[in-house]
Amino acid sequence: MSLVSFVKVRKNAPESIRSSILESLDLVGYRFSKEVKNVVIKPNLCYYWDRSTGQTTDPDFIASLVSLLRQRISPNVDVSIVESDASAMKCKHVFKMLGYEKLSRDQNVRLVNLSEDDYSPLKVTVDGHVFTIMVPETIRKAELKINVPKIKYMRDPMFLTCALKNVYGCNPYARKSKLHADIERAIVGLNKAMGFNLCIVDGISVSGTQPRMLGLVMASEDPVAVDVAAARIAGLNPSRIKYIKVAASEGLGSSSFVEKGSPMRYFSARYPKRTVRDKVMSTAYRLMTLTRMSRRIGLE
Amino acid sequence: MKKIGLGIVGLGYIGNLHLRHSLKVPDARLVAVADMSKKALARARETGVKKLFTNYEDLLKDPEVDAVVIALPTHLHLDCALRAAEAGKHVLLEKPIAKNLEEAKQIVIAARRNSIKLMIGYPLRFNSLFRDIKEKIQSGTLGDVEVAYSTFISSGPFLHRAEGHTPIPVPEWWFHAESTGGGALIDLGSHLINLTRWYFGEVTDIKSHLRHRFNLESEDGAVCLAKFKSGALAVINVGWFSQSYKLAIEVFGSVSNAYAEHTSSNPIMTVAQALTTGTTKLHWPHLAELQHFVHCLSNDLNPSPSGEEGLKDLQAITQAYKNQFSLI
Repeated sequence: MSLVSFVKVRKNAPESIRSSILESLDLVGYRFSKEVKNVVIKPNLCYYWDRSTGQTTDPDFIASLVSLLRQRISPNVDVSIVESDASAMKCKHVFKMLGYEKLSRDQNVRLVNLSEDDYSPLKVTVDGHVFTIMVPETIRKAELKINVPKIKYMRDPMFLTCALKNVYGCNPYARKSKLHADIERAIVGLNKAMGFNLCIVDGISVSGTQPRMLGLVMASEDPVAVDVAAARIAGLNPSRIKYIKVAASEGLGSSSFVEKGSPMRYFSARYPKRTVRDKVMSTAYRLMTLTRMSRRIGLE
Repeated sequence: MKKIGLGIVGLGYIGNLHLRHSLKVPDARLVAVADMSKKALARARETGVKKLFTNYEDLLKDPEVDAVVIALPTHLHLDCALRAAEAGKHVLLEKPIAKNLEEAKQIVIAARRNSIKLMIGYPLRFNSLFRDIKEKIQSGTLGDVEVAYSTFISSGPFLHRAEGHTPIPVPEWWFHAESTGGGALIDLGSHLINLTRWYFGEVTDIKSHLRHRFNLESEDGAVCLAKFKSGALAVINVGWFSQSYKLAIEVFGSVSNAYAEHTSSNPIMTVAQALTTGTTKLHWPHLAELQHFVHCLSNDLNPSPSGEEGLKDLQAITQAYKNQFSLI
């Protein structure tokens, strides 16, 4: 059974974040190999929303992780932070706007726009459906791949974005919405193709119905277990999130796990969850958008 | 009376707003639209407009077009406005008038030389709530106005928009100061400078403190302190940094004070507000603005805010950029 650790961050300061990351890895028994020469870190960068929104990985969290890697692996370990262009987001702007260019200068790490990287095709089968995934060279060559997602709500039908969904951002195609018709299986296909080794969740701030400081670092080698835990923290039923079920059936991880560290319910109680009213309002708004009623009455 | 033939140049967010409103102005008829995007033109065709151009020069040659609404990126205002003036078309030009003073002066001179009417798009002047404050200041209800506090905080160009499930990218020109002429101060501040000038007279002095939360070429936030001919002071607080939206002004006089806040207007919310508070707020400032422009053209009146006023706003903004103050 997989292990998932939950660690409270005592203070939102570099040393405290670093020690919390280390504690979360110790709790799941993860040790960095000294043999690793290059590492890829995939934060969650979404549109141009900064860390205060709880929607994007805090560059200070990544800085703490990089400093830990340099201490535990080697001071010379090559670190790349990767993201790709999306329909409405360009890496050249988002790296600058959200503080990643500064992080790159301060910590001597590379920023890689996967949309501009070389890539090679890889066929993967998910639930009987064959996808041809373009695997960027930076990811293919990395000896250690660390996924650093956020815990946040998404529009239906996915409900949640955390570890598995964050890897969707490794798809080098900017027009990601093209895969949205089969997004659940596409998420699983991308996770199979990219092969991330480790997941460390930046849950210091989260985005539920509103942003909130949750003070959580969560770690596991199992992305499915991480997403199941994240769903429970966010008040969602993981068995109703299709891509988690598909990922488990495809062998990407296990839906059951052993909690390590602080109790998960401590964080679940503090997550800004959707209320019944929120659900009714979002359903009503979606219906109005679908029927174009919202435009007719001037809400758009 | 002959209806004014309108052309709309640029079908971005504001251009589309003008397109929808132009169909509701009784004394005008929408003749043509121009945009480089064929997708935008296809959407415009659905509204019934017949003449669709990918080049605004062709639209300006159309004899049926009497006046144009220019809703282009700021760095394209000069060329389009000059060509429109030379073609004898009246112009409703979106704010700010231009990206710098030199270009703004050229636009104003061209309008005068060609005897066309030039109006700058400042919809707050046509919002009934903000007009009420003007009325209170003029009638003396507030006494002598000492201080005003104005705020326009939003996501600016970074407002997340989507077409169906596909998010719309932020146009590239917004990231370059060369195209915009500045950041939040010129973009949002121009609304508030124009409004406070309308209330209190010309700006006699102005200073600014600029902020750069997002490491952009231009400021994403600014706090200005302006003094006006009337003696009033105004704090002008603008920013592109927030996911929430607030556009408001509070005016403090020696007798009383007044507050106005712009909120999106729609019939359902208006009815709900009428039932709960007994007041209504239904107002369509962009529609009223276009109606005023068309009314002035039909009756040979000078529209306001004029090109000269747009130039004065830009002079105040330029002065604010020059007179920056820093805080430790």
